[in-house]
Amino acid sequence: MPKTPLTDQVYKYLTALLCCSAILFIFIIALVLIKYSYPSFAVWGLNFFTTTVWNPALNGNIIYKYGIAYMSGSSYGMLVFFFGTLASSGIAILLGVPTSLAIAIFLTQVAPRRIVAPISFLVELLAGIPSVVLGFWGLLVLGPFLLHSLEPAMSTYLGWIPLFSGHVYSYGFIASGLILALMIVPIVASISRDVMAQTPTELKEGAKALGSTNWEITRKVVLPYARTGIFGAVILGLGRALGETMAVAMVSGFAHYLPTSLYSAINTMAAEMALSLDGSFTDPSGMYVSALVELAVVLLVITMIVNVVARAFVKQGFVRSAEGVIRV
Amino acid sequence: MCSEVLMMTKLDLTDGGSMTSEMQNSAAGNAAAGISIRDLNVYYKGLHVLKGINIEIEPKKITVMMGPSGCGKSTLVRVLNRMNDEVEGFRHTGQVMLDGKDVYDKDVDPVLLKTRVGMVFQKPNPFPISIYENVAFGPRIHKIFRSKQQLDECVKDSLQKAALWEEVKDRLKENAMKLSGGQQQRLCIARTLAVKPEVILLDEPASALDPGSASKIEELMVELKRSFTVVLVTHNMQQAARVATKVIFLYKGDIVETGEAPGIFENPTKELTEKYIRGQLV
Amino acid sequence: MTESNLATVTEVVMPWQDSRVKSNYRRRQILDKVMKVLALIAVVVVLFPLLDMLYLFAYKGLSVLSISILTETTSGGGTGSSTGGIENAIVGSCLLIGLSSLIAVPLGVFSGVYLAEFTSLHNKFAEAIRFISDVLAGVPSIVLGYVGFLAFVLYLHWGYSAMASAVTLSILMLPYIIRTTELSIRRVPDSIREGAIALGSTKSSMINRLTLRFALPGIITGVMLAVSISFSETAPLLYTADFNNYLPTALFHQPVGFLTYIVYVYSNLPYQSAHNLAYAASFVLLSFVFVVNLFARVVLKRFSKI
Repeated sequence: MPKTPLTDQVYKYLTALLCCSAILFIFIIALVLIKYSYPSFAVWGLNFFTTTVWNPALNGNIIYKYGIAYMSGSSYGMLVFFFGTLASSGIAILLGVPTSLAIAIFLTQVAPRRIVAPISFLVELLAGIPSVVLGFWGLLVLGPFLLHSLEPAMSTYLGWIPLFSGHVYSYGFIASGLILALMIVPIVASISRDVMAQTPTELKEGAKALGSTNWEITRKVVLPYARTGIFGAVILGLGRALGETMAVAMVSGFAHYLPTSLYSAINTMAAEMALSLDGSFTDPSGMYVSALVELAVVLLVITMIVNVVARAFVKQGFVRSAEGVIRV
Repeated sequence: MCSEVLMMTKLDLTDGGSMTSEMQNSAAGNAAAGISIRDLNVYYKGLHVLKGINIEIEPKKITVMMGPSGCGKSTLVRVLNRMNDEVEGFRHTGQVMLDGKDVYDKDVDPVLLKTRVGMVFQKPNPFPISIYENVAFGPRIHKIFRSKQQLDECVKDSLQKAALWEEVKDRLKENAMKLSGGQQQRLCIARTLAVKPEVILLDEPASALDPGSASKIEELMVELKRSFTVVLVTHNMQQAARVATKVIFLYKGDIVETGEAPGIFENPTKELTEKYIRGQLV
Repeated sequence: MTESNLATVTEVVMPWQDSRVKSNYRRRQILDKVMKVLALIAVVVVLFPLLDMLYLFAYKGLSVLSISILTETTSGGGTGSSTGGIENAIVGSCLLIGLSSLIAVPLGVFSGVYLAEFTSLHNKFAEAIRFISDVLAGVPSIVLGYVGFLAFVLYLHWGYSAMASAVTLSILMLPYIIRTTELSIRRVPDSIREGAIALGSTKSSMINRLTLRFALPGIITGVMLAVSISFSETAPLLYTADFNNYLPTALFHQPVGFLTYIVYVYSNLPYQSAHNLAYAASFVLLSFVFVVNLFARVVLKRFSKI
């Protein structure tokens, strides 16, 4: 058996070692987060997940529980942020997914060949826009538009629904939802477009030869075929929306109470984390920092689960054979 | 045919013998119109693909298009049901008269045309759904039937005409992809029959199948010509000799020769035809 | 073949003559057109903000752009008394990208090489690394910022510094580079490898001279996209670099200015001069993203036809 040359062996083990940097990074993340969030987990327990009150009580005295310091009268509950994250991501999905599918359908079924490439490029360019720039645009253009045009219109025509009534602000629920929708569209649309483009031509031709319209071919052949991949794309988009920080921080309104209408200010876990950390250094007990790190842990766990599920669906969507995997 | 179900009379004529051929014709509906192609020229982005084609495709006969690769036979067949409409750079002159009316007329709808001129492809392409749903696909989108019962009858009838009913009647809900290649192709034929076409175009329907399945398809075509106009594209000379009524030889977009089978294989009049039959033209 | 029951005398209606089928068809046609229009509307609705943004920041950015903006630092720029510039931010962002690339590119590229050349697709270790890489890619950037703050700024006592930010950013970039490198190398056809081995080349020499050369366009694309992403990031840097009104002079214990901070903070300040700086910073950011995207997706695609 020929001996592998020394250089090859060195190369192999050296590169394998460098692979371990990924493992190292995961370890750093896990260790650091656990270490600094432990105080908050220990003191607040389940209440962290069920209270809406987020009060650092910085002016109080330091008291102790299980040997861990925290401020008397303080209370940390993530419900407001949790709700804000879910709700704003929910709106983003509600508005963004149909739009993304429509764009994917446009690019694969409707558009003449010549404009597919430039439009695809523009859609992907949107993905690369820094989120602070999107937030800036939100402040300059979207906010005033919501304040002066859209929200008054919604209030007038739909005000009888409890969600749509209330004082109109330019920052808050809708603004966050809209900006997030804009951010997930490139992801969902690009992946959906790629999966849909893989539909075998013979299936589409078969439907066409039976006298289907273009939309019927899309609805009955292409979309069912691409269903797994599209679902994965949507979940990936959801993962992006959940973790998005800056644009939302700029347009959310930074609330500490639950919203009462679509126009109210909200707060998301990510935005709260970005906005409050420097303020938390003033807490002599250190609990404020720890609570924020616990928030980070919760956010991380949620996005990790969502992303892992998403990737499984996207992979399966691309690998699928036409062997009747999808039950119609 | 499915339409008969709509207007069942009390006459039970399954014995077949008491029917005159005329009654059989009208009973089969206004089926089997003929196609007249006059001075057809087809261009793909300026490339002259079909040149001055004149053909009479007679009803209730099998017309076979043959020729080496690139001769334009597939293009010609796709002109007949306007599958070429959305191909970039497609342009044509001339007329394609179905039952006396040009299929490219402004008031002819390409989508509805496809219910009159059906197409079966070289590679069997059933949808990855149940057998029943495959056959029901066409009738469903065109909303041909009012009741589920009529649809059921149509599905059964189409599968019977495609010689597939006995093999699948107990597993209509099964996924079509579980069928063998030959069965899938017969399913595609059944699917086409379900919208009650007058003309059936078959583009090398047996070339992807094993000889046993291929011969089943040939038998099927001979049976189908009794009620439909059949246009067949094939490479297989023995197949053409077996099933054809009329044969048209194409070469580089021109018609070289047309003739009756099997005579034309034994006595071709043109040199190019003879070369093709001998396998000297690729 | 069995025959179905046949009717005789009465007129038979073909589907294309049936008026019910025809009127249903009209409905289908309308639906088809409506869907086409909706699809077009969706494209317009999404592209409008994009083009509006590009136009707005190009217009406003160019109108405030001047040599002074690019060569002065922000000190005083936010308070309205003097205009100031974004030089410190530009230099800072470049420094951070440079440092983090220095860390992430070798780590990522050679990890990708290992995964592509020395393991099969189903190797357990490789699958673990890929999974971890996917997990890393999914970590929200603010969480990464927290990790960087806690691990490097606090625990290792580096303080707000360029190094703390650079290492944090390299964690962000690593998964992208690993993934694109592995994909690019796997795309190189085996025939090239076999040719080299048949000539007596060692595996490492083959990789260095041949495979990497062919995979290079793809690898560079991946690196450029990773760079573009981290140039645009804010959250990981907020608590690792903090901000600095002056040009960077040290890698440790000294905060660094960066462009996205200016957009984030100065967009909200009540002074027009601050807004101007935010416009300028947005313009620089967008230009960078636009150029990198164009280059990576269009130009390099031409070179990657093997």
